[in-house]
Amino acid sequence: MTMVEYFSFLPYGKYAFYVWLAYGVSAITVITLFLSANRNHKKALINLQNKYSRK
Amino acid sequence: MWKWIQRQSSPKIFYQTCSNLTPWFFWPFIGFLVIGLYWALIVSPADYQQGDGYRIIFIHVPSAILSMMVYAIMAIAGGIGLIWQIKMAEVVAKVSAPIGAAFTIIALVTGAVWGKPMWGAWWVWDARLTSELILLFLYLAYMSLNNAFDNPRTAAKSSSILALVGLVNLPIIHYSVKWWNTLHQGYSVGTGGLKDPDMQIALALMFVASIFLYALLVAIKAKTEVLIREQNSRWVQEEVTGAVS
Repeated sequence: MTMVEYFSFLPYGKYAFYVWLAYGVSAITVITLFLSANRNHKKALINLQNKYSRK
Repeated sequence: MWKWIQRQSSPKIFYQTCSNLTPWFFWPFIGFLVIGLYWALIVSPADYQQGDGYRIIFIHVPSAILSMMVYAIMAIAGGIGLIWQIKMAEVVAKVSAPIGAAFTIIALVTGAVWGKPMWGAWWVWDARLTSELILLFLYLAYMSLNNAFDNPRTAAKSSSILALVGLVNLPIIHYSVKWWNTLHQGYSVGTGGLKDPDMQIALALMFVASIFLYALLVAIKAKTEVLIREQNSRWVQEEVTGAVS
C-alpha cells in the first residue's frame, strides 16, 4: 500500500496525502518562525537584564 | 505620513511602533487565516481538471508572491540604509531575510508536492522552479554575508549590495513562464486561471493573511534586533528593566 492510498481516507481522497502534506509543512514552518521569533525576543530581554544587573 | 516615516529612523520610536503594531498584525492575521482556510478547504469547489489537488495553490501562490515581495522590500530597505545611512532600514532588511527564505521554502515545497500528482515528478529543472531556487540561494547568501561581520553597519553595507544585485532575479522569476516554454503553468492571478469566485476569494484571503504574517514577524524580529543593536542606550536599559520586572 502506498502513502497516497494509505491517506486516502482523509478529505480529498486520492489527493489527500499531497494536500495535507503541503498544508502540514507550511503550518510547521510558520509556527516555527513565530515561536522562534518570540523566543529570541524573550532571550534577548533576559540576556540584557542580566548584563545590566551585573553593572 | 512622510513625517511619521521620518520619525521611524529613531530606534526608540521604531521600537515603540513595532510594539504597538504587533497586536494589529496578529489578530488580522489569525482572522484572515481562519476564514481563508475555511474558504480554501471547504467552500471552494474541486477543480474540473485537477480535482482537489489544486487546493495546494492557496498556500503555494501567496507564498511564492511573498517570496518575491519580501526580497524586493529587503533590497529596497538595504538600499535606503546604504544611501541614507538609516539604521532602522538596515534592521528591516536584515530581519526580512529569514522570513523571505521561509516563504521561498514553502513555495518550493508546496510546488513540489503539487507537481508530483499533476506532472508525475517532484522536481523538474524548469525556468520558473530554477529561478525560484536561485532566489532561495540569494536569501541564504544574504544571511551568511550579514552574519560574517562583527560590525552590523559593515555587514549591512555588504549584504545590501548583494541584495540589490539579486533584484535582477525577480523579473526573471515573474516572466519565466512567458519567456520560456515552461512546464510550470502560466499566471493563476489576473488571467482567468481561477474562474470560480470562491477560488478567487480564498486566494485573496490567504494572500492578505500572508502579508499580515510577514508584517507581524518583521515587527517581532525588528524589536529584538533593535534591542541588541542599541543595548548601550539608556532607553533600552529602561525598557528591558521594565519588561522583565
